[in-house]
Amino acid sequence: MAIAQPTAGVRPSRWQQMWKSVAIIFESRVATVGLAMVLFWLLIGFISLVWTPHEPNASDFIQNLPPNGTNWLGTDHLGRDITSRLMQGTQVILLKTRLPGDSEISIPGGVAIWGVIGSLVLGVTLGLNAGYRGGWWDQIIMQILDALIAFPRIVLYLVVIAALGQGDMVVILAITITGAPGVARLARSLAMDIKTRDYIRAAETRGESVRYIMFREILPNARGPLLVDAMLRVGYAIFAIGTLGFLGIGLPPPDPDWGNMVNEARRNIFSNQTAVIWPSLAIATLVIGLNLFADGLREELTRYQK
Amino acid sequence: MARFLIRSIISTIVTMLLVSMALFFLLEVGSGDITVKILGVFSTPEQRASYRSQLGLDAPAWQRYVDWLAGNDWRVKSRVGYPLVTIPNKESGEAEWWADVEGQPTRWKLEEGQLLALKRQGDGSTTEQIVSGDWQTDESGAEFFWGVDTKNNAVKWMRGEGAEVWVLTKAGLRKEGDGPQTYIPLRKGLLRGDAGESLQFGRPVSATLWSRVRNTAVLAGVAFIIVMPLALFLGIIAGINEGKLLDRIISIGGLGATATPEFVTGIFLILIFGIWLKWLPAVAIFTSANAIFENPLLLALPVMTLTAVELGYIARMTRASMVEVMDSAYIRTAIIKGMPYRRVVVRHAIRNALMAPITIIMLHVNWLIGGLVVVEVIFGYPGLGKYIYDAAIFGDFNAVEAAAMVTVTIAIATRLIGDLAYTLLNPRIRYA
Repeated sequence: MAIAQPTAGVRPSRWQQMWKSVAIIFESRVATVGLAMVLFWLLIGFISLVWTPHEPNASDFIQNLPPNGTNWLGTDHLGRDITSRLMQGTQVILLKTRLPGDSEISIPGGVAIWGVIGSLVLGVTLGLNAGYRGGWWDQIIMQILDALIAFPRIVLYLVVIAALGQGDMVVILAITITGAPGVARLARSLAMDIKTRDYIRAAETRGESVRYIMFREILPNARGPLLVDAMLRVGYAIFAIGTLGFLGIGLPPPDPDWGNMVNEARRNIFSNQTAVIWPSLAIATLVIGLNLFADGLREELTRYQK
Repeated sequence: MARFLIRSIISTIVTMLLVSMALFFLLEVGSGDITVKILGVFSTPEQRASYRSQLGLDAPAWQRYVDWLAGNDWRVKSRVGYPLVTIPNKESGEAEWWADVEGQPTRWKLEEGQLLALKRQGDGSTTEQIVSGDWQTDESGAEFFWGVDTKNNAVKWMRGEGAEVWVLTKAGLRKEGDGPQTYIPLRKGLLRGDAGESLQFGRPVSATLWSRVRNTAVLAGVAFIIVMPLALFLGIIAGINEGKLLDRIISIGGLGATATPEFVTGIFLILIFGIWLKWLPAVAIFTSANAIFENPLLLALPVMTLTAVELGYIARMTRASMVEVMDSAYIRTAIIKGMPYRRVVVRHAIRNALMAPITIIMLHVNWLIGGLVVVEVIFGYPGLGKYIYDAAIFGDFNAVEAAAMVTVTIAIATRLIGDLAYTLLNPRIRYA
């Protein structure tokens, strides 16, 4: 492909193009702040992969210590170092998913990330089919999605987890099922808009298959709004994981999970407030960061469309 | 309009059916052996199997779904041979099943090979009578009898088979000989207001559910009354001052409050008002059924938590809608015409701007229910959300299904009302 670019100097290089699409983030102060908050936690997560101040799961210290020189944020009700647990808590959300079974194997990409990918795949497939094919496909798919939307989200989580038990995969499944209807509705409306364009007509005239048109013609052109939406969904997913952890039905031990840390520490809330405050703040800042980021980005993107 | 109405009602019914199926089969297929939870881990497989059949869990899933939804007395009636009726228990008021034998409510029990008919008297007591002549014979010559037992099951006794059952009593499991072969727990079905028996409490779900629904309605109602005017006011203020500092503060504050999970907000409110300042009770402990009316302070922190979460969302929606309206041509016209700004806002803008938020609020009820579950768990508030949570943790599927159906019904009903309200409020929308 290098030969195919003789017009060097006129066309910006790949890097410049990428930078141009990323630079839009920094035009919005809200998005920049949001991104900084998210990157902070990502950084903490990557550091925790190689180093934490203490062993996160070891009860090495006196219980319920206030913050001090060795334990920067204090210790919890089992004498575990809160700083280390807080740092490792980013991993299950953003960086790794533990496979079921006794094996210690984890795949990269946290539960929140895989959950959102799952809802994107399922939602986009359903939405494109409903939007492009129309007719009965549309009716049936939308009816099923309506039924899913009718469930209060948390009730659906409770039912899925009551039915399938705890585990990383179950949480991913729960996030996928609850997220897919929203993605599908968005993908459907985008597909209905895009299918009236001339290039779709051209593809149809060429005799391309329905699948080709849906995934190779419509999907790339619907990418932008779907990605911004996905960003928001990562926020929802982390929100959901935190809530599930707090309800005691989220990601299973031994890896620390912020929601569950709050849940366990709130039983000692009268004697030890620090153990509750830190994980609460961690979840709140990460979710708010993602929301600010997505919100600022959307504002910036829609500004040019007006 | 009529066509639109009919369409939405049909779609609602289909949705409800799909939801009920999803709920039932998900819990049916997925949930583990509930009898382990009830009987304990030290029960034997034999005891569990016996108890499973007493709960009617050995019937096929589709059969149980129909029973659950539409009841089974109409199906079982032909086997027993008498009409089946429910009569409220004199003490608890809970419905009991009886067979109507020529106007005489009757149940049966088998004691040491003797079939006894229990006949209900007017004052609620029963008299026993030996009815050995009622046995019927099947093709293979075995004697059997279909009747209603004292635990609201339709059962089939076989004479001389010596089937043993494990009966759960207050003191534990008791082995009984001459037990029935087949159990069909009698129920009226969800459509007729009977959600079955709660496996946790051993009482009908409908008897325990409604007081919870009431508590939640009070909580959500109070929060709603506080949130709505405040959120709409803040949203309108922010919308008028688009881009100014006040707008920034309200918008970003709203985003922060909405994005913060309910439990984080709740925990911080508990820390501030319950522990550091000691102004408000940190948990909602109900010492009597009407505790919220006797001590409204119990509601303070739960309501504040819900307010914090909902306020931001509705305020942001109102703001967006207000900004859009203030950008429109007719507002500009009104301002250019020389109308006082305040009058333009109050008379022209607000009415149009409030349309979108009202619909969105109706759609938002789902979210509110989610918030309620968490808030009720944090504060130990005995409402619908905590009911679902406790039931789901225990695996009490009858209770989960019934309570989830209540929440889904509320959500769908409000959505329908929201759709209708929108069409009525907005003369530009007319459904063909």
